[in-house]
Amino acid sequence: MSPLPSWLAAVLALLPGVAVAAEYGPAVHYALECQGCHRVDGQGTPGSVPALAGFAARFLAVPGGREYLVRVPGVAQAPLDDAAVAAVLEWMLRRFDPEHLPPDHQPYTPEEVGRLRRSPLTDVRGERARLVAAMDAVRGRGE
Amino acid sequence: MTRQASWLDRLVERGTRQLARRTSRRGLLARAGALLVGASALPLLPVARGTEPAGGGNASRVPVPSDAGLEGPVGDPTRCEYWRHCAIDGFLCACCGGSQSTCPPGTEMSPITWIGTCRHPGDGKDYIISYNDCCGQALCMRCRCMRTEGERPVYWASKNNDLLWCFGTKSRAVHCSVAIVLGVASEA
Repeated sequence: MSPLPSWLAAVLALLPGVAVAAEYGPAVHYALECQGCHRVDGQGTPGSVPALAGFAARFLAVPGGREYLVRVPGVAQAPLDDAAVAAVLEWMLRRFDPEHLPPDHQPYTPEEVGRLRRSPLTDVRGERARLVAAMDAVRGRGE
Repeated sequence: MTRQASWLDRLVERGTRQLARRTSRRGLLARAGALLVGASALPLLPVARGTEPAGGGNASRVPVPSDAGLEGPVGDPTRCEYWRHCAIDGFLCACCGGSQSTCPPGTEMSPITWIGTCRHPGDGKDYIISYNDCCGQALCMRCRCMRTEGERPVYWASKNNDLLWCFGTKSRAVHCSVAIVLGVASEA
């Protein structure tokens, strides 16, 4: 990304909260766009907000799970560009669920995020239930 | 003996009736509850303050900026103009028995919040601010404040401050709102 001309940066800096967002790294983007619900430690709130901690990377182990993590409303509709979403996803997986991250995990790319977030989920709960059942089946076979 | 007892009875009865006229049972319960919770929270206060220092969020490890050098309403947590309140919508907890970062006794801080940034007028940095509602009592009705920097329409629910944010709490009743500094919005 080429740096903004200084005069443009100065003008954009006058706009609250919007233009400067692109300059932030994934930790700040997580704080601004995700943490309000998923909380600082990724634990969520039982019954209201799903936990990321110790769980999120398990989606990567089942067919459709990688896509699900981008297509859920909070990610697909986040006010971030595709590259920033990809960076937050990778940061989130490593921060909150490194133990379930597959050794051969390929990082999300901006192109992949851009493609997936343009087909958001219409039945989030149904898809989540299907994927969690698939996780349990995988785990059952492994034991 | 009988005369004395009836005199005492009348005195107690009059006192009880006056007390009943002046107070409501709910009000008495609320105050007694607040006293209990407040007393039990006292030993925890240093821990509670620990949620706001530097690095309370993941963003950065810088300290919460000092308001000592700020003159006028921008440095006064009981004023709508206070710098942290740039996107708050509700009654200021600093006017309701709490502070800009702590809930009044007898209320519970919602763990689910909406988060934005406000610029500190002293150092010019943008700080990440979490607007938590304090829940469990009726609306405070003091120091109403509504500011909307960076706020989005209600269809963008996670960035809208018109919502009542008492999620994940025992009660959905909103009392007041706090503005907690999570960190600086740096490039990290």
